Amino acid sequence: MIIENIINASVELFTISTVILMAVGVVAGLIAGAIPGFTFAMAVVLVLPFTFSMTPVAGLATMMGVYVGGLSGGLMSGILTGIPGTPSSVATTFDGFPMARNGQPGLALGLGVWSSFFGGILSAIVLVLVAPQIALIGLEFQPWDFFSLVIFALTVTASLAADNLLKGLISGLLGLLVATIGTDVIFGLPRLNFGSEALVQGFQFLPVLIGLFAFSQLLNDVRDPEMARSKISDGDAQSIKIEHRKAAIAVLKSWVNLLRSTIIGIFVGILPAAGSSISNILAYDQAKKSSKTPEKFGTGFSDGIIAPESANNATAGGTLITMMALGIPGDIVTAIMLGALLIHDVVPSPSFIADQPVIAYSIFISFFVATFMMLGLQSITLKGFVRITRLKMYILASIILFYTAVGVFALNNIEFDMWTLFLFGVFGFVLKALGFPIVPVILGVVLGSIAEKNLSQAFAITTDLAPFITRPWSLFFLTLGAVSIFFPAYQKSRGKEKWTLAFIPVFVMALSPSVFMMDGVIRPYAVAPILLVLGGFMLWRRISGGWVLDQDDTGALVDAPDPSQLDE
Amino acid sequence: MRINRDVIVAIALLIICALFINASFRIKEATFGQMSSALWPRIILAPLTILSFVYLVRSLLQSEPVREKRGGLSGWIGYYKNPIVCFFLFFIFLITMPYFGMLIGGILFVFAMLTYLGGYRPRDIVVHGTIAVAAVGIMWSIFTFGLGVILPSGEIIPYL
Repeated sequence: MIIENIINASVELFTISTVILMAVGVVAGLIAGAIPGFTFAMAVVLVLPFTFSMTPVAGLATMMGVYVGGLSGGLMSGILTGIPGTPSSVATTFDGFPMARNGQPGLALGLGVWSSFFGGILSAIVLVLVAPQIALIGLEFQPWDFFSLVIFALTVTASLAADNLLKGLISGLLGLLVATIGTDVIFGLPRLNFGSEALVQGFQFLPVLIGLFAFSQLLNDVRDPEMARSKISDGDAQSIKIEHRKAAIAVLKSWVNLLRSTIIGIFVGILPAAGSSISNILAYDQAKKSSKTPEKFGTGFSDGIIAPESANNATAGGTLITMMALGIPGDIVTAIMLGALLIHDVVPSPSFIADQPVIAYSIFISFFVATFMMLGLQSITLKGFVRITRLKMYILASIILFYTAVGVFALNNIEFDMWTLFLFGVFGFVLKALGFPIVPVILGVVLGSIAEKNLSQAFAITTDLAPFITRPWSLFFLTLGAVSIFFPAYQKSRGKEKWTLAFIPVFVMALSPSVFMMDGVIRPYAVAPILLVLGGFMLWRRISGGWVLDQDDTGALVDAPDPSQLDE
Repeated sequence: MRINRDVIVAIALLIICALFINASFRIKEATFGQMSSALWPRIILAPLTILSFVYLVRSLLQSEPVREKRGGLSGWIGYYKNPIVCFFLFFIFLITMPYFGMLIGGILFVFAMLTYLGGYRPRDIVVHGTIAVAAVGIMWSIFTFGLGVILPSGEIIPYL
């Protein structure tokens, strides 16, 4: 069955035009990812209008090329200029830039490229193997479970706003509220349109997303008049040659670090909203803590490049698992892909892989192929990167701003969509300026109709609210949601206050009741007791240890930026 | 207790909540189904109102009011002058779209943005004009001829 699906998808995917489009997508992603201020998510947004006239397979393959290219592109500017091209490459600069300044820019770039490659390939394998299995679990979900999953996705997104949990939650709710404007998704009745005819159709999801994210970001990039008029970067990398052979051997020699970072990347990707901006820092932190020579980190050490770069590319596989297996986008890129699928009348859900095997396996294969393309095209784009960074920011921003308007219009051929872009551009800009994170708003807009549909279906079955806590998956997600609400407080107080010692054990034990309630044998009779015993053991260890705080365990990640600011 | 930026934002949020709650009572009820069309917006508005109120109280009780680094409203406007002007230019671009159309309007918009952000020297104006015509022209051609999208035309020059 899998082989048949792979063959069918390959027939669709490996046409000359689609392969060329993918290669163009990878190059565009690499360059966009390399330009500081232009995240790869922006590149995926900008490429979207071009995919309207393509087949779903060609369109998604192109977007996948941009995604994979963009994830790897950030390392170029990070290593050569010390300014990460995207938040996904923040940790790469810690050792990449010093190594380049120590006279080994070719090796530093090679380590980044090969780590990205291996991280991406391993993550693609996990994606192919795990996504169909998770989709099978997804088939167990009933409307209550989906609703609770959406609640979990929103709470975990809001909790990533760190110190600003309150603002994160308000942002998520504002996103949900925006999605209710226009017409009721169940009965088609007009609502909350304040008497405006134009608002009866509601706001289209993609113009809202592009406005909130790309439009507001572009204007942020030109806020400072001096910065707007200066060249994007003064880096001169034309004479640099990537040392592929030496770098590939070094990455393979550090296979434990590579594997650990890849696992971190995939796991972070599976979690809704926790993207590569977090995984790269987390992987770097773990690599440093596990190293026999932690003092070398920050001085141009190869492990300090391998960890973040393998993790950020691996995250892509994780986010795709959640989107393809459950139909829930975990970050902006998968939200855009969900939008692209909807344009082609394909609705992602747990049955997506079974119902649309050609499209699903095309995504798997294109992720795999794009990773290989990235490896080959990185050297070429290095020259393009140098040329583009000689442009001034205001020129790029002005042209792209116009392009977003054209692209948004092309979506439905409706002028109102451009007004939506403008309104949400202003809205996103103001929110950012006031310290509200943007990602929860976007996920709120995307997930709002999914939540409402499932709530309505749940109420159509019974008006009793009990299934929200008596159904195992619903309880599982609500437990995770509750934990994510308290997680910022835990992270802040870790190593300082004694209650934090009980947080993880209690969290692990709290998950067990829902797992006990699940069907089958392994989950209730093996996984649930293990969770209970593990949590109890951790608690006992801490009690028997005198409930003493570990002074080293402050929870602070190495120079970790505020995740709320990493709007990727 | 001091009025700071957060207090104003929280009050604005509460006003928005009040407007939406009020509007939710004017939503028509469906005669079938279990869940009314107004229920979901109210489920969202209830926690949003509570959290906005918590935000207000927290902002009022802040022991050290957030210092306005940019010196009040005029400083804020000065700090965000570029984005504000760009938003205004985009607004003009949209409102004049029926007259100029996407091509002419786009060229004017990109030129105006480039010139505002990049400078007014004669050489800059020539460069900006060239960039605006080339970039918008290429993009317009790709969408019109390549992707088959009929972009809005203007009254001034029909079909463009």
